[in-house]
Amino acid sequence: MRRPRARRPWGAIAIFLGPTVVLYAAFTIYPVLVTFYNSLHTLRMDLGMLYEYVGLEHFREILTSDDVFWKAARNSLVWAVVAPIVDIPLALLLALTLHARVPFARVFRTVWFTPVLMSYPVVGVIWLWVYNYDWGIANLVLRAVGLGAYAQAWLASPLTALPALILVTTWMFAGFNMVVLLAAIHAIPSDYLEAASIDGARAWQRTLRIMVPLLRPTIVNLVILDFIGKMKQFALVWVMTRGGPMWGTETVATYVVKRAFEWKTLDLGYPSAIAVIWFVIIFGLSLGLTRVLQRREALEF
Amino acid sequence: MPRRLARVLLLLPVLAYTAFSAGPYIWTAMMSLRTTEEIYRSHYAPPIPAHWAKFATAWNEFGYATYFKNSLIVAVASVLIVSLIGAMAGFAFGRRRYHFPLREPLFLLIFLSIMFPPQIMLLSLFQILVQYRLFNSLAGLTLVYVVTELPLTIYLLRAFFAQIPTELEEAARIDGCSDWAMFWRVMFPMALPAVATTVILNFIYFWNEFLYAVVFITQQKIRTLPLAIQFLVSDQYQDIGMLATGLMIATLPVLVLYLFLSEWFVKGMTAGAIKG
Repeated sequence: MRRPRARRPWGAIAIFLGPTVVLYAAFTIYPVLVTFYNSLHTLRMDLGMLYEYVGLEHFREILTSDDVFWKAARNSLVWAVVAPIVDIPLALLLALTLHARVPFARVFRTVWFTPVLMSYPVVGVIWLWVYNYDWGIANLVLRAVGLGAYAQAWLASPLTALPALILVTTWMFAGFNMVVLLAAIHAIPSDYLEAASIDGARAWQRTLRIMVPLLRPTIVNLVILDFIGKMKQFALVWVMTRGGPMWGTETVATYVVKRAFEWKTLDLGYPSAIAVIWFVIIFGLSLGLTRVLQRREALEF
Repeated sequence: MPRRLARVLLLLPVLAYTAFSAGPYIWTAMMSLRTTEEIYRSHYAPPIPAHWAKFATAWNEFGYATYFKNSLIVAVASVLIVSLIGAMAGFAFGRRRYHFPLREPLFLLIFLSIMFPPQIMLLSLFQILVQYRLFNSLAGLTLVYVVTELPLTIYLLRAFFAQIPTELEEAARIDGCSDWAMFWRVMFPMALPAVATTVILNFIYFWNEFLYAVVFITQQKIRTLPLAIQFLVSDQYQDIGMLATGLMIATLPVLVLYLFLSEWFVKGMTAGAIKG
């Protein structure tokens, strides 16, 4: 007879956690440490990965004299701040609309969710066509409603290119956020809302005063997820604009890849330093954001 | 009566958003059945007659057969591996029996890495893959995919394993169940619904992944679909019709599955977003 908990089943632990620990150590922890190490060196790909120690020189250069980095950082930040402000309220509005028992709500939910299942290259190509000056849907609609004067090559101007890309990610993720919010709304006990309606609260009051505060934890979660997602944005830019025009849509992620593989410097150290800076900023801002947004006591139900 | 009216009025913004949401894809679907010549004559005409043969042409002559196969190999292999390893780890992290002193800190570390931006390991992984001759190989890409989705998979499955009652485990153990049999014969089958959500989440991620593919794959014949599309955009910028057909080939398998299993897809895709 084996007695459970007589001693620790180390053999089983090793079998179950072994693969994870090995993979995680070798391909997550080790690479992260290597990136930190590389950020203090120049690392020439053309010279057989020749290491040369430079200390904090890359960091000094990035923070004091790299204009492209600052443009990329600004674009990434704008994207990460604007996207949640647009996406989440829109998703909430859509969720509340469907919750109001619109006919065929299921069909609409299914359709709205679809874009998040497509890859960025697919979405990027479709939206390159949508934004086409001559025959894209965007200009077609403007011309149809008599705003033809505003029709333009959306991705060709540094002023409109970034907003145009932000709209694409909204198109991709609004339905996704909506579904998560809708699930949270359905989870609210109905007596909460009934109690409010007995008190004579009107429908919109009920929504604003009761539902939204109850949804707060979910909303905070989605905001942070959206924020982090946009701080990492790479693929859409790579397919649609390559960071142009004039760095107008360059993000930190695209700049890292460009500096590593397209720049003539052939140095992996400098882009590693950018990655380290951005890693620290994303971590810091996400933790800060979590703190600030969750400060008010989450309502329990 | 006014209530009913209000509901109908609500339909207007709902329909407007639906047009915004579905319009671009439907437009692409229409173009996928038309020749580029027809499209340039009128960009929004319906696909009459429908050129279904374009799908065969794209598949055979434009390399989509190869790209599709590459994507499928990487996605299926990665899903199988990450599901097995992730379930094993989730099981060991979730059950009291396997508790050991540094288990919770280890789990916390793995959990935190869900937040890591990929750039923090992108270039060093490139270096490592080159070193071990895994650069430019589907095996190398698979390895990286497994590692990137392992933390979230473990996190989701651990939550499931943790809430299975201990009585069940004890009963099985009295019947002489070994640890491995306990996992493989008892717990894993119970966890299948939870595993299914992670399978969907991970499959979509692997099928659509772009950043690692761009950096780790440079040979044409092992490109995955997202990578291939990026190159085809610049190579055949003019041939909109064929490109649209390609986009359909890249998306239709997932979207058709979604149509039949939409509840599962929604559950899978949102699994990572609900609790955090």
